[in-house]
Amino acid sequence: MATYQEFIQQNEDRDGVRFSWNLWPSSRLEATRLVAPVSCLFTPLKERPDLPPVQYEPVLCSRANCKAVLNPLCQVDFRAKIWACNFCFQRNPFPPSYAGISEVNQPAELMPQFSTIEYIVQRGPPAPLIFLYVVDTCLEEEDLQALKESLQMSLSLLPPNALVGLITFGRMVQVHELSCEGIAKSYVFRGTKDLSAKQIQEMLGLMKPAAAGNQGRPAAPQDAAASCRFLQPVHRVDMNLTDLLGELQRDPWPVPQGKRPLRSTGVALTVAVGLLEGTFPNTGARVMLFIGGPPTQGPGMVVGDELKTPIRSWHDIQKDNARHLKKATKYYEALANRSAVNGHNIDIYACALDQTGLLEMKCLSNLTGGHIVMGDSFNTSLFKQTFQRVFSKDYNGDFRMAFGGVLEVKEMGIGGTSQWKVCSLTPSTTLGIYFEVVNQHNAPVPQGGRGAVQFVTQYQHSNTQKRIRVTTIARNWADAQSQIQHIESSFDQEAAAVLMARLGVFRAESEEGPDVLRWLDRQLIRLCQKFGQFNKDDPSSFKLSESLSLYPQFMFHLRRSPFLQVFNNSPDESSYYRHHFVRQDLTQSLIMIQPILYSYSFHGPPEPVLLDSSSILPDRILLMDTFFQLVIYHGETIAQWRKAGYQEMAEYENFKQLLQAPLDDAQEILQTRFPMPRYIDTEHGGSQARFLLSKVNPSQTHNNLYAWGQETGAPILTDDVSLQVFMDHLKKLAVSSSA
Amino acid sequence: MDSNMDDMYMKPGNQERGWNDPPQFSYGLQMARGPQRNLLNKRAAPPASGAGAPPPFSPSPNPLSPPRCGVAPPPLHTAPPPPGCMATPPPPSGPIRSQKEAESSQPESEPDVQAVVLVLKRALAACRRTVRDQVCNDVEKRLRLLEDGWRSGRLSLPVRRRMDALAQELQACHWDTADEIHRSLMVDHVTEVSQWMVGVKRLISETRNLSPELLEPLHYPAEPVQDPTEPDQDPTEPDQDPAEPVQDPVSPS
Repeated sequence: MATYQEFIQQNEDRDGVRFSWNLWPSSRLEATRLVAPVSCLFTPLKERPDLPPVQYEPVLCSRANCKAVLNPLCQVDFRAKIWACNFCFQRNPFPPSYAGISEVNQPAELMPQFSTIEYIVQRGPPAPLIFLYVVDTCLEEEDLQALKESLQMSLSLLPPNALVGLITFGRMVQVHELSCEGIAKSYVFRGTKDLSAKQIQEMLGLMKPAAAGNQGRPAAPQDAAASCRFLQPVHRVDMNLTDLLGELQRDPWPVPQGKRPLRSTGVALTVAVGLLEGTFPNTGARVMLFIGGPPTQGPGMVVGDELKTPIRSWHDIQKDNARHLKKATKYYEALANRSAVNGHNIDIYACALDQTGLLEMKCLSNLTGGHIVMGDSFNTSLFKQTFQRVFSKDYNGDFRMAFGGVLEVKEMGIGGTSQWKVCSLTPSTTLGIYFEVVNQHNAPVPQGGRGAVQFVTQYQHSNTQKRIRVTTIARNWADAQSQIQHIESSFDQEAAAVLMARLGVFRAESEEGPDVLRWLDRQLIRLCQKFGQFNKDDPSSFKLSESLSLYPQFMFHLRRSPFLQVFNNSPDESSYYRHHFVRQDLTQSLIMIQPILYSYSFHGPPEPVLLDSSSILPDRILLMDTFFQLVIYHGETIAQWRKAGYQEMAEYENFKQLLQAPLDDAQEILQTRFPMPRYIDTEHGGSQARFLLSKVNPSQTHNNLYAWGQETGAPILTDDVSLQVFMDHLKKLAVSSSA
Repeated sequence: MDSNMDDMYMKPGNQERGWNDPPQFSYGLQMARGPQRNLLNKRAAPPASGAGAPPPFSPSPNPLSPPRCGVAPPPLHTAPPPPGCMATPPPPSGPIRSQKEAESSQPESEPDVQAVVLVLKRALAACRRTVRDQVCNDVEKRLRLLEDGWRSGRLSLPVRRRMDALAQELQACHWDTADEIHRSLMVDHVTEVSQWMVGVKRLISETRNLSPELLEPLHYPAEPVQDPTEPDQDPTEPDQDPAEPVQDPVSPS
């Protein structure tokens, strides 16, 4: 590897791993002195079109409390057919099927290019995927119609063998029987009464004699399909279900003036979770909740039905004035945990102009790996296309969704493992894993000079196969006393920024806002003190090496981001942004922290420009990607030309092309991103320009405009600290000998 | 699926219901995308002098920098862009056309409802042997809805064209292609087709499971397409005798 940059990129491409430090400090004390924790972003199911899965079981270490998987780091004695586990040093014989291996005939899992490898394992009969639609009927007519059509459309996107079910709710909760006979039947539950799983299963007639104690085994598909009238194969019930959906009416209970509709989301979810628990525990299942407003009655209600009582804002929460918050959150957390234990995930599709209670309900998706999609109405392209993309397929024609994930992380020296359940995974789902170095200070560097970590992800593929993906990585230990420069050059500032940001978001959800910013600032100052090159008390001498040079800028933008700044966003919006932030891969996460800005002009090809007010110029078009929004901003002159219609004239074909260029680039993002971003086409002076103006570094404001002499770029009317001021303060604090 | 230009379009989002609603892609355009190019993933490096300090920018007195081909820049604000020069060439893009444009630009012949319905009915007839009556009747009901909708002019041209293509693929036993067309119609035109399309979907899935000999009637040549302005039928085609409604010999009364 010529540079760490290449090393980092190759490792991400092959293994889906980005470590904050690529040389590990050899003691706990030194690790804490590095400020940024030893941690990594890991994408368990990173799309690897070049990695065909192997059709055999992985070979495991025989030590009971190890069970690491055979990997390229293991020492192998090909003659004696023995391998040494690199985690616990146990010597293991190869299984009989490996009798023919040799140096020139190695199994894939020993080869370095297969540091990530996927096994297809046969464990019991293939279990079908299950999709349970839970639909709010307290919607406006236009919205309900659009939603119904989207659901009908989705039946064409589901695999024919998938099981599908329908629960509708408003004031009451209805579980629909999907038989093939003519008359539609449903079971109705009161929306005000909480029910236990057992009660629900009894009332739905799901109690089988041998049910008790049958925890781990899913019922054989034949029996389950026969016995469960509520979850039927798509290929059998699609026509009936299409009609049923087509005939759905708005909730019939009249809503008096000044009131909200009575929406029993809590009970609807309890019934859904209970239904799946009783029929298909431990099988991949998706509960898809569609809501057009907040829960207003029954357990889990978020706001009452009086319109004059608004739904809680951040202000209310800070003043401890949110009556239902704690109780509702607790209720949904309990449901989420039950669902997660069963390997079922819950998606929330919330489309309304006002808040719908995502703050209280977010755990349903966050704890189970489900999606949260937030829109204004079901009759929008944003919802329709995002929903379609839930069912998008990969290069093999398989769904990009995986179920029932269990991730184990093994580390060397401890022999122990840590296990997490991740009920639902997509190829982009990325976890942040934080490590603790446990070596005592001054203890010798561990044998072999390298630390190793193995990630083992078991999951149900969307084609119903059970698979195991194993990623084994190693990094060198380094003595921080003598090799601090090497450790510093192994720093991955992008990964570290995202990992710190995730920690920040985690804290922000449990602590007060200002405390998180103070914590973040403190970490940044300490990092600069440790790795900055400077003369004491001389801020102008401060320098950071290349491997850290962008890090302060990331932190600056992170502090201003909606993930840590709740001002200007509702609690639901903050929950939504945070939900997506903590599960995306590095590239997308970084876009969320520090949006990308490209400039289009007659002066040359499109180029990235500083996210700074000085980049806003009259003769440029800017394209900004914040992940949640795509903003195309036309500078003042461009806007005037556009208004005058020059693009329609033949001799100004080049102007037409210029206008089209950012649209074409935006299209690629619009075609692939999940969830679909908002699309803002604006110009100098336009009200929507605020999306751009609020993101750029306000290097020119009304405060310092005249200091630069001439008007260069668009001044931002704000009192926000600019990056320059931020950096000045940072340097001052970092070099101060009194710190 | 046939990548017909008609099927690859983008239309604006619903700005009335959702602020800044993104544009909507047709199913064809969605599916046609190649590997991700990730065009927009670079950041500008901060200037060496300090993180984020704006470069000392001295703008020209005239914001319209002279274009490369040497045309004198017109005066401020009211001037048009420099004409005639090749400015930033836009990156290669997918074929996007406005939906309206696509519809009117292809002077193909109008698809024949009779031919389409005939194929579907024959497929249904083939299914009657092995598939439950109730299912077949349900499918038949929906095929009737399709036919009624078509004949009364309630189906738009893209839907009619794609149904024509679907029928041809079905006749040729290209099950996956037919299925893909059905999916594209459900995604792009759900409002028009949702009532009956599920019947066509079922028909495809049942027909593909039939043993080959049952599928032979599908391949019989269709009766020559009748000129819609000529109601008089060729007397050598008894099926088309206007005095007798066309009877599918195995359909229930």
